[in-house]
Amino acid sequence: MSTIETEATAPESAGSVRWARRREVIAEVLRNPLTVVGFVIIAAFLLMALFAPLLTEPNQPDPYQSPRDWANIDSPPGEAGHVLGTDSQGGDVLYGVIWGSRLSLQLSLTVVLTTVVIGTIVGSIAAMRGGRLDNLLMRIVDVFLAIPELIFALAIAAVLGPSFRNIILALAAVFWVKYARIIRGEIIRIKQSEYVAAARVVGDSTWNIFRKDVFPNSVTPMVVQATLDMGNVVLIGATLSFIGLAQAGLTEWGAMVSAGQSGLLAGEWWVSTFAGLAIVLWALAFNLVGDGLRDVLDPKTEGR
Amino acid sequence: MTEDWLLKVDDLGVQFHSPRGTSQAVDGVSFTMKPHETLALVGETGCGKSVTARSILRLVAQPPGEYSSGSVQLRNDDGSVTDILSAPERVVRNIRGNRVSMIFQDPGKALNPALTVGRQLAEVFGEHRLGMVLEKAGLPTSRPGGTLVKIAQQRAGWLSVRLFQLFRRDAARALKKAMDDEVASALADTGIANPRKIMGSYPHELSGGMKQRVMIAQALACDPDLLVADEPTTALDVTIQARILRLIHDLQQRRGTAILYITHDLSLVKEFADRVAVMYAGRIVEMGPSDQVLKSPQHPYTQGLLAAIPRADTPRGELEAIAGTVPQLVDAPPQCHFASRCAFAAQACHGHIPQPTVVSEGRLVSCFRFSRAEELDVSAEEMPQPAEAIGGGRR
Amino acid sequence: MQVRDYLIRRLVLLPFIMLGVSVIVFTLTRFTGSPVGIYATPNMTPDEVAALEARYLLDQPIPVQYAAWLGGLLRGDLGWSGVSVAPVTEVIGVKMAATLELAVAAGLIAILAGIALGTIAGVRRNQGPDHAARLFSILGASTPTFWFGLLLLVPFYLWLDWFPLGRSTDAVFASIEHPTGLYTIDALLAGNIVAFGDALRHLILPAVVLGFGAMAIIVRMMRSSMVEAMSEEYVDAARAKGLPEGVVIRRHARRNAFVPTTTVIGLSFGFLLQGSVAVELIFRWPGLGQWVTSAILSGDQATIMAYVLITAAIFMIVNLAVDIAYAYLDRRVVLGG
Repeated sequence: MSTIETEATAPESAGSVRWARRREVIAEVLRNPLTVVGFVIIAAFLLMALFAPLLTEPNQPDPYQSPRDWANIDSPPGEAGHVLGTDSQGGDVLYGVIWGSRLSLQLSLTVVLTTVVIGTIVGSIAAMRGGRLDNLLMRIVDVFLAIPELIFALAIAAVLGPSFRNIILALAAVFWVKYARIIRGEIIRIKQSEYVAAARVVGDSTWNIFRKDVFPNSVTPMVVQATLDMGNVVLIGATLSFIGLAQAGLTEWGAMVSAGQSGLLAGEWWVSTFAGLAIVLWALAFNLVGDGLRDVLDPKTEGR
Repeated sequence: MTEDWLLKVDDLGVQFHSPRGTSQAVDGVSFTMKPHETLALVGETGCGKSVTARSILRLVAQPPGEYSSGSVQLRNDDGSVTDILSAPERVVRNIRGNRVSMIFQDPGKALNPALTVGRQLAEVFGEHRLGMVLEKAGLPTSRPGGTLVKIAQQRAGWLSVRLFQLFRRDAARALKKAMDDEVASALADTGIANPRKIMGSYPHELSGGMKQRVMIAQALACDPDLLVADEPTTALDVTIQARILRLIHDLQQRRGTAILYITHDLSLVKEFADRVAVMYAGRIVEMGPSDQVLKSPQHPYTQGLLAAIPRADTPRGELEAIAGTVPQLVDAPPQCHFASRCAFAAQACHGHIPQPTVVSEGRLVSCFRFSRAEELDVSAEEMPQPAEAIGGGRR
Repeated sequence: MQVRDYLIRRLVLLPFIMLGVSVIVFTLTRFTGSPVGIYATPNMTPDEVAALEARYLLDQPIPVQYAAWLGGLLRGDLGWSGVSVAPVTEVIGVKMAATLELAVAAGLIAILAGIALGTIAGVRRNQGPDHAARLFSILGASTPTFWFGLLLLVPFYLWLDWFPLGRSTDAVFASIEHPTGLYTIDALLAGNIVAFGDALRHLILPAVVLGFGAMAIIVRMMRSSMVEAMSEEYVDAARAKGLPEGVVIRRHARRNAFVPTTTVIGLSFGFLLQGSVAVELIFRWPGLGQWVTSAILSGDQATIMAYVLITAAIFMIVNLAVDIAYAYLDRRVVLGG
């Protein structure tokens, strides 16, 4: 940890210390083979999402609906040119898995980024201001935490009506509270530690203290939580669309599992299985990386 | 040496493996203890004295620890010898808490916070004095592994305990009474005035001194031949320390237990120990009768250690600290580990490991100042100044 | 004494948080649709609806409306459930019993399996069993409940036909009284072994599926607190007494490691409640989850809102109970300092 003194006398060296530390952390994270596996899976999904139009011809007018091959409905993997088979509407499963990765990326990135920003703002204001405002904001957070995430999102999405956009909105409305809580707790902890007291004695402004000392130190648990949530959001989003809160025929993995449900009991296992496997891999990858990050960044919570 | 020994630690080596390398926490430690004797193992934090103490009960966690050499031999009543380091688990368990027991540094940490102290004491009796307890309760002792035995050992599940209490109410009551009597008398032996009340308490409800009394009662419950006391008073208030030490001493006098004190407190050595062994960086550097070692230390480290403690006759401002710091023991080179801090160090000290040399009756010193150049096969110039030339003793 | 103050504070806050939840639910009802739907029955004429609107002050400002709605809520008036064709309060008890039976069974499986796996992992840290337990738990956290349920349906229902769908066989259901609404308990109360077996056969598969995800949370926590407990001095002290390693682990390490693990049991109950939605859908379990999904698909808002309120209430009460249990178990540690 860089101290106030070194920052004041030699800002460049403090910066390079921070960089050296960061490089050390990255090296340590990559030492865990499971974390590396997680990174590889994430990279594969990112490439898949990025190059979806090259991998498969986009369907017109809406690429997020599988092209229908009515001549080959319920065809098993490998037959009639469908590598992973087709569903009961002749929709290509491989196409759905590939374009579903775009939807998952869109869902998780939008939700995690917006909730991190909202949570950071709310949590920071609560912690830095304190007093009655803090109390009010935290009671609101308590109310949000009283309803299990999926159930809250389910109610919101149900009221807004079935669509993928509404699933994103519903999840964003629910997920920010965790971040507000984390960042508030971290800020209060750091505010009480000595080096912030030292900065206060030196006469730094509140904003400067926040920017230079408090914020950089509270980022760690946020990064871990955000990584885990990249997976969680997709899991919950898929559950919502499985229940029927996304548009019919969408190439969303949860919706695909739902579409393949009846086929599954008739022995046509491929639709639900491959779509579900995509969800598992996605969530697994972010859980592996999140766990790996936590082990390195915050060894206290996980006894190594 | 005559066959009048109880414990023989011979060339004990303990290593710890970590990603940073291997550290030799204990390196060729040898000593012998007679029955009823008190030996103090003295040294700074991290010198390996606690690891040595734990090795006597084979308590070093493996991994990361490893017994790299040596043996810890315990002589049995019939004259046979058990090597604790290589004996089967069952044999070692029968020694632990029974023939050799241990008092830990911090009684607040060594007592389980989730169990009453009475229950923790009862465990010892259930493990090692089962027959006696059952006999006193007037219960049959014939079936090892039976429900009765399991209940006496407190290993029975919740359901069988309840059923036992329900269907064999008299037996359950007799068993509880016999066990409680044993526990209460063990507690009373350590000067606890109201043992029946203390038995039902959780550790956090007791003071530090009281907790250490409980630990002592637990350690001495089976009348062990040897008590290993790992800094038994360090965690206690100064006012209580003397009382606890006096208690251990009294119990030792009454029962004839041998005691191995692990300590950094030289005043304790003076008052209670027959002999003292001084450890530095994993090795014993000096050993001998405590009054002699304290009066005329021979090893430069012992001399420095004694010069560093305040005494009534030390003039103000003349307290000395030993220069330098204890070396890192990770992948340490084969040399005298004290050489870097030693005023007498010569070339030989940096290239060889000093072996214990008998300097007088019952006194051993590991220092090249007591060796001759021929023994090491080096030239005389490389040797440190011989001790005799300085005259030995404290300056 | 800090602990007691904290618990009292939690207890005092509980009604206020429920009030907050009711505000959220009320706000949601005002997003879309006619709010009068919560009170109206389908066979009313427009005049009757207008009369209802006036009666429930729906022509009044929002705060007045909220107060009136809350008043109804407190009197036990949760509106009309379209999917059940009955007032919400009449059907919610049965649904809740079904979901609670499932969630508690799943919770027991998760706790027992989680503690067993976490203990092994913690004792054999960084060895084979530890890696296996960690992988198992991370898979539990990554597998969507609905997909896992479908996967198990294929072998155990479709091929082997070991476990039937639904909650009970009709004939068996009719054969006994149902005072608690928890079929396994009801069967035990009636002393009917056939009914008990039937209830259990229906319960096991969905409970295992539901418990798998919650188990992940418990394994993780149990493992790390077990690792910590194994390094405590009292564990060495227990070994120094000559106790066998099994007793040292069970009585000395695990007993203490369990205390911090209780904190995540409340958390994992939230997981069970949300997971029950998909599980009930797949296994045709007639509980709150199946009820709310059919309500969502038919736009039955009164049912959705009642569902949110009731799950929030259950979740909070379970969490409070867990906190109290933790404070009780931990009092030695906390108060001992």
